[in-house]
Amino acid sequence: MKTLRGWVYCRFGLAFFLNFASLASAASAPHLALKAVERREVMLPIDDFSLTDQSGKNFHFKNLQGKVVVVAFSYTTCPDICPLITAALRQVQTNLSNEERKNSHLLTVTTDPEIDSPKVLAGYAKRYGAELGGWSFLTGDESTLKSVWKNFGVGVKRKARGLVDHTPLTAIVDRHGVLRFAYVGPSPDVKLVLRDVRFLISDS
Amino acid sequence: MIFSAGCGRNERMDAVYAQRCLNCHGAGGRGDGPMAASLPVAPPDFRDTVERKGNPQIRRLIADGKGLMPAFEPALSPSEINDMLQMVRFLSREGRQISWWEKFDTLVVAHCSIPWEAVLGYDEPAAEKKL
Repeated sequence: MKTLRGWVYCRFGLAFFLNFASLASAASAPHLALKAVERREVMLPIDDFSLTDQSGKNFHFKNLQGKVVVVAFSYTTCPDICPLITAALRQVQTNLSNEERKNSHLLTVTTDPEIDSPKVLAGYAKRYGAELGGWSFLTGDESTLKSVWKNFGVGVKRKARGLVDHTPLTAIVDRHGVLRFAYVGPSPDVKLVLRDVRFLISDS
Repeated sequence: MIFSAGCGRNERMDAVYAQRCLNCHGAGGRGDGPMAASLPVAPPDFRDTVERKGNPQIRRLIADGKGLMPAFEPALSPSEINDMLQMVRFLSREGRQISWWEKFDTLVVAHCSIPWEAVLGYDEPAAEKKL
């Protein structure tokens, strides 16, 4: 018993020393350089696609024809830029008038289907206070998503479970299913996005 | 070997913190990470709040997320969440006088060579789950 107690004390003593010695290197982690958002005007027809929304229902992109659609690509366990994109979309939704909401829709398409099930997406949407009547969170099988990512020109590279590198794209698609404005970067300017959405709503 | 290497803060904890937390919370937990200035709500300096919270509370917060902080439960194994918790504890204790019970907690909880997964019934992360 004495031997065991001595072993435990010695072991905890060493742990105590190493724990506090290791604190000296606390500030040595790498840093992320934040790039500015780039806004591009494009004319890219988007092919129809079918995915699954946060409530587990089938979602068909073609059903949004006649509406201006803001499409963002992100994933729920993203530790850097996705929260900024989703927060920006939340602000966009908040600032749209009732009439503008009838003529527009927001989409968040996951870049990590391995983690982002409909249930996980529903929790994510709730945390951000998304009004789900005008905002859908989409997932699906990887092959379908790959074609959607490719269609929008989004590159996706899995680094680890729940950790994905992807193009930080927020795209605005007009009433006819043509991608017109692309914001590439961490946090699209809400005022610019609103201006572009309103322009496309009023553009017959 | 009784006094094996790898006790206390280790590379696994550093890696999980650097990958998932550092961008917002900063290297020391002060809320001054490279993304912090861009966030609509500034991340808090967690060193003080962590001091007042129990391990289950912190583990729940990491698992479920809060505000803009992601919910990590779907992506991380319980032992990885535990690594994150240990790291947060280490950083919260840096540069301040700690109480005797906190030292005891450090000794017991942060001792990585104790097979916590086996003791607490955690699943070992599958090969592809490892960072």
